[in-house]
Amino acid sequence: MKNAILSVAILVSSLGFSQTISQDTTATNLQQNAVNTILSSKYKRGVTIGGYGQVDYNQPEGKNGELDVHRFIMFLGYKFSERVQFVTEIEYEHVKELFVEQAFLSYSLNDNLNIRGGLMLVPMGIVNEFHEPTTFNGVERPSVDKSIVPSTWREIGIGVTGRFNEASLRYQAYIFNGFASVNDGKFLGGSNGLRNGRQKGAESTINTPNFSGKLDYYGISGLRLGFSGYFGRTQVEDDVQDIDGADVGISMLGLDARYVNHRFSARGQYIQAVLSETKAYNTLNGSDLGSELKGWYAEVAYNLLPLSKEQKLDAFIRYEKYDTHAATKEAGITRNLAFNRNEWTTGLSYHVAPGAVVKADYQILDNAVENNKSKGQFNFGFGFWF
Amino acid sequence: MDLDFGFNLLNMIVKYIFVLFISAIVMAFGLPKNILKKVNKEIENTFNVEQFQLNSKIFPSNIADALPAKFGSDNLFEIKISDTLLGYAYVSKAQSKTDYFDYLILFDKDFIIVKSKVLIYREDYGGEIGSKRWLKQFIGKSQNNILNYRDNIAAISGATISVRSMTNAVNDVLQSIKILHQKNLL
Repeated sequence: MKNAILSVAILVSSLGFSQTISQDTTATNLQQNAVNTILSSKYKRGVTIGGYGQVDYNQPEGKNGELDVHRFIMFLGYKFSERVQFVTEIEYEHVKELFVEQAFLSYSLNDNLNIRGGLMLVPMGIVNEFHEPTTFNGVERPSVDKSIVPSTWREIGIGVTGRFNEASLRYQAYIFNGFASVNDGKFLGGSNGLRNGRQKGAESTINTPNFSGKLDYYGISGLRLGFSGYFGRTQVEDDVQDIDGADVGISMLGLDARYVNHRFSARGQYIQAVLSETKAYNTLNGSDLGSELKGWYAEVAYNLLPLSKEQKLDAFIRYEKYDTHAATKEAGITRNLAFNRNEWTTGLSYHVAPGAVVKADYQILDNAVENNKSKGQFNFGFGFWF
Repeated sequence: MDLDFGFNLLNMIVKYIFVLFISAIVMAFGLPKNILKKVNKEIENTFNVEQFQLNSKIFPSNIADALPAKFGSDNLFEIKISDTLLGYAYVSKAQSKTDYFDYLILFDKDFIIVKSKVLIYREDYGGEIGSKRWLKQFIGKSQNNILNYRDNIAAISGATISVRSMTNAVNDVLQSIKILHQKNLL
């Protein structure tokens, strides 16, 4: 009996206490939503839940179409203290493939310096880092961000990141694991360059760490400039690492710019990768990896709705040119002009609410092969980010 | 037996009251130390002063609760040197993508913004709003301005959510000041 009354007393008192807290939270933070109630930084710790994804319909001319839950990502964060945070993104691709897209621990030393380690995004160009579908125009990501920058490009590494508010500068510098020379029987090659080599942090092999860095400058109103660099070598298994052509050297540089002014916005990027020892690599593996990959795109968009509306309807047009065989002589292979591609993409991004977008666009895909007949493709889909 | 039980219950109640008491103190004790330090530093640099007092301006809760921005006991402060009013400081929190950030707005005597600053930003995404250059846009704004993200406040690519949040936060403060003026409370 005594214990029963005591338990009731404890229960009542703890109920009373939790009520006090929730009442206080409601009163002081009126604007927050349900999820954020858990995160209230007043308690300096807590769980963050989020997600993003896109569902696409691709209809090439004269062929059958494809409907795809292209990606669905769950974001989970936990704040252990004001300084220590864990962030992860768990991704389903095409419904059935499961990946961990990011998983890192971050320690904030001060306002200008954070140390991060784990599975992280390689900062190169715009879309690899800012890949949520509400942040770019077009149903599909730009092709330069697929064939030249193999987004979503992520590996395990460690590094530092931070900002200097006085200078409007953000920096990132990491030591990452690199691409695998041969990845589960797949080779680096002509059509997609380095894309097949992504190890994605899954039982990845390492023998040479790679360096990756990016500087972002946002000190001019409406403009954001990025300068990225990536240097290193591909990774090789023990038993073959001394064979000639077992790995290739990589030097990749990227320049990007984004501009917003009232209803007008524009973005562009240029990426160039120079690969060394590709001739030996191609001989050893019977592959057709070029010794230079290069691509750029430029895009302009105009919001057709007045700025007073929360909704946004961006009409955009983008031109892309990219070549995974930008240089082949040193690679000892014949240049394939079909890999020298160009694309026009034009369409609409209708942001029905901040975080939810319905997109439609039409693409004209062409390459440098003589008399190549360009192909058309219609894309339609939606994306979300919360 | 009964005495023991009564003692336990009393003990519980005392603990409960103690916890409530402590949380009440924490809530009403003013700005956290690290925030206060940053606020003081900004006031020193902006008004070019070393010694000053910060007096909290508190409004009747029925009026404060109806304002667009939060006007509790630790949001709006008068900045004074002895009896001379230098200006005002407004401190609060706003939402970034997954967290909150603390910000400060400094006003002159006439409630015209002389400085705005992000005091603590807690996540990577959107931290660009801390940029000194971007925050300069708020200087000179007053209750007569209505701030609109992308219209009279420039966007920052890759920081949309926080830019919108900070713009709305400053706008809410300005509109609240307008209401308080109309009610002759300022």
